[in-house]
Amino acid sequence: MPVNHFVRASALLVAALALSPVAARAQTTPFVFDRAILQDEKEVALKAPEGVACDDAGNVVIADSGNGRLLLYRFAGGSLSAATELKPAGVVYPRRLQLDSKGNILVLDPKARKIFRVDPKGAVLGAIELKAGATALQAFPVAFKVDSADNVHVVDAVGARVVTFDPAGSVKRQLDLPKGTTAITDVHVDGSGNLYVVDGSQAAVWSADKTATAFKPFTPSMRDKMNFPGYMTGSKGRFFLVDQNGHGIVVLGADGAFQGRQLAIGWGDGYLYYPAQLCINAAGSAFIADRSNNRVQIFDTNR
Amino acid sequence: MRKNIALVLAVAVLAVPSAVVAQSASQAQKFKLKPGATGNACLECHATFADVLKKPFVHTPVKAKDCVGCHNPHASQHGKLLDASPSQTCLACHGGVVPKNAKSTHKPVEEKGCAGCHDPHASNAKFVLLKPGNELCGGCHKPILEQAAKSKFKHRPVEQNCGTCHDPHGSAKADDLLKTDVPGLCVKCHKTDGQIFLKQHMGYQVATSRCTSCHDPHGSDKRGMLYNKVHAPVAKQMCNQCHEPPGSPRKFQPKIAGADLCRGCHAQKMTEMLAKDRVHVAMVEGQACLTCHNPHAAKQSGLMRKGGQLATCGGCHADTIKRQKLSPTKHDPVATGQCTSCHDPHSSNSPLLMSNPDVIEGCGACHDWLKHSSHPMGAKTKDPRNKNLQVQCLSCHRSHGTEYKHMMPYPTTSDLCTKCHEKFKR
Repeated sequence: MPVNHFVRASALLVAALALSPVAARAQTTPFVFDRAILQDEKEVALKAPEGVACDDAGNVVIADSGNGRLLLYRFAGGSLSAATELKPAGVVYPRRLQLDSKGNILVLDPKARKIFRVDPKGAVLGAIELKAGATALQAFPVAFKVDSADNVHVVDAVGARVVTFDPAGSVKRQLDLPKGTTAITDVHVDGSGNLYVVDGSQAAVWSADKTATAFKPFTPSMRDKMNFPGYMTGSKGRFFLVDQNGHGIVVLGADGAFQGRQLAIGWGDGYLYYPAQLCINAAGSAFIADRSNNRVQIFDTNR
Repeated sequence: MRKNIALVLAVAVLAVPSAVVAQSASQAQKFKLKPGATGNACLECHATFADVLKKPFVHTPVKAKDCVGCHNPHASQHGKLLDASPSQTCLACHGGVVPKNAKSTHKPVEEKGCAGCHDPHASNAKFVLLKPGNELCGGCHKPILEQAAKSKFKHRPVEQNCGTCHDPHGSAKADDLLKTDVPGLCVKCHKTDGQIFLKQHMGYQVATSRCTSCHDPHGSDKRGMLYNKVHAPVAKQMCNQCHEPPGSPRKFQPKIAGADLCRGCHAQKMTEMLAKDRVHVAMVEGQACLTCHNPHAAKQSGLMRKGGQLATCGGCHADTIKRQKLSPTKHDPVATGQCTSCHDPHSSNSPLLMSNPDVIEGCGACHDWLKHSSHPMGAKTKDPRNKNLQVQCLSCHRSHGTEYKHMMPYPTTSDLCTKCHEKFKR
């Protein structure tokens, strides 16, 4: 009988040891290189693209920042369409992008200090502007996100606040950025309407639920795990931070716990060099604006 | 009250030697030394040590010839036959030199290197210091003392003794080992309620302001010991150009909040900065210009805040500074805090706020040899790893350093070269 116990215990131990790498892997989201977008059909090379947005309908849009244009694609069933070039009026330096529920493109142009709403044909439908002040320094949008109800959440560096605009463009809510933080690089909103802001300098995330009047720490400083996070998104119950200076993607659990890093510095396929924005669609395709590699890379996160 | 303090001090002074004596007695017992053998037995062999005992300042256990108070006469795992590690040995008696919850601690103390400043046996200087007062401090803080010595307007305490203002071990009250925080420390000597003081400060009540935001406590070439780089309105004594007038209920409040105040004079420059593609967020967020600049006076050009670019830029970009510290090969502009050699701190049309959009030209400003003797680079040399890139300096080096030599992103040269020259990969 004790021998049986020993055999059973040994078998369990062997199974546990054999499965532990699988369990560990299950904690991460692998980014497997699929392809890179380097140029359009006219062979105009991408130049320092800082933004990429996608939706579950297969739309992908790139902010080809250095060329001052947008490139619109369809990516479905593993097939990438030809690009449609858009040069919306007034958009000089497209930096960050989002797609709303109607397929319109929201473009942050920090030079114009506006978030333009552009239709898929490139026509400007309007612009969100933080309260126009008497001087140029009264508001400065550095990041934004659109939620499922098409509310737009904007980080204003000058006002040290997150301003939420409803779809009609009226201010719905204002929340002060956490005191003492510098270099807030992004805002994120999850499916429940909780807001998150990223402190690039401290490599930390703060959160505020729908009714909160102030942000509270969501993670401790993670300086030992990343360099300078510049962008945050979420997918399938996980959060992803784009570690701009660390040239990688940091994965956090739903509770903010660090789950690992993906990708690394490099110039070849599947490597990153100062990445700027990340978008993951429902099909698990991840698009990364690989800024200093002058390209957007597509990764499969399902494998 | 004074009597009580004197009593406490007297007890404390008496307690240390008695503690030493108690300890030495137990040590003597431990080695079962013959009566009277303490120290004298050692001096039989270490005869030259008798000269050490003649020095004016002798460490208490040495004076008591209690060699076994620190050393084990038979064998030890520590150098110099010390009975414990050097730091443990000193701290056995001097455990309280660093205050609890110290706001600042002197690096040699932190690293437990008491012998960096003190001679454990005897010395010609007070407190068995290796050298007297400022001469000792100058061993590490040479630039401060040199600057103080040649400055036109000198601060007397600096000439006398660094210890007038600084506690050499640690301070529970202030940064920079200051005995008390500023202005508390300054007002011990400088009376702030006099007419002269008020006149010198244009009638503003500055008694509770931080003196070191304008004055260099180690001396300077500017009258009033202002830091050597003075903002023009301060130099012209036109404080009310930016601040509400003295006596205003708003006290020191600036006339206009934020960067718009600075814009009054620097309109042209700021308009140019804000017109570029990429604006450094530090320029607009928080205190705006004051995030990096001292509005009154500073040591560094550009009125950079304390610590210059290394501290100011490193405040947010600690990851970059850390990378350089860990790098076996240093890049001079990063190591010495000359971030603006390569970056425009305000704005730029290039990613990473590079001053020069052409990397080769930018690096070439210092490394001009690369223009006539180097690996093929430039627009005509495509990077085999990525056709959207041309080969340039940053194809092989990382300007802020890496964990590898020559600021390479890979451990060996062959690892690096074969990334492109794949056929040579073994």
